[in-house]
Amino acid sequence: MTVASASVAEVKALYRAFLREASKFPNYNIREYVKRRSRQGFLQNQNIAPELATAIFSEGKQLLEVAKRQTVVYSLYAPEVKNVMELKHVGEQ
Amino acid sequence: MRASTRNCPSRAVRIICQSTIQQVQDIIATQLSVDPSTVQPETKFSELGADSLDTVEIVMSLEEKFGVSIGEQDAENISTVKQVADLIEKESSA
Repeated sequence: MTVASASVAEVKALYRAFLREASKFPNYNIREYVKRRSRQGFLQNQNIAPELATAIFSEGKQLLEVAKRQTVVYSLYAPEVKNVMELKHVGEQ
Repeated sequence: MRASTRNCPSRAVRIICQSTIQQVQDIIATQLSVDPSTVQPETKFSELGADSLDTVEIVMSLEEKFGVSIGEQDAENISTVKQVADLIEKESSA
């Protein structure tokens, strides 16, 4: 199956998909990690040669599948109490 | 122009509620660490020093903040601040 070279729009859509999956995690830590790691991954590969771009893009898609599966797993074990980092408005003077 | 209260977050303790475009401008200024006065409705994201990844991030955080979901096609064509605010208004009234 030939994979067409990823366009700018597809890359942006992939990044958007990662951020959307991240927001589905009930757990603060993994949510922040997915956001941070996806930003890092996309920034790292910003300026690579076009020949490598397709391979990296399909790798990104596979990682998106991993993230999707993990949202299901993590929601089975959602924490009952909110992480202290999420309580932004408490204690603000 | 009287600000509509429709877009006020439910847990707002502010007495004066801002309009959508104002809230959008504030959020963008905070995210990009720029002076809020530089964020005008006609300002392009590229003018504020944001590349396409930053733009995607900003749109996503605005979606989260306003509780709406902007479609892929619409999000692709975003280049100015006003466009985002219009899309948010469109989605929240739909």
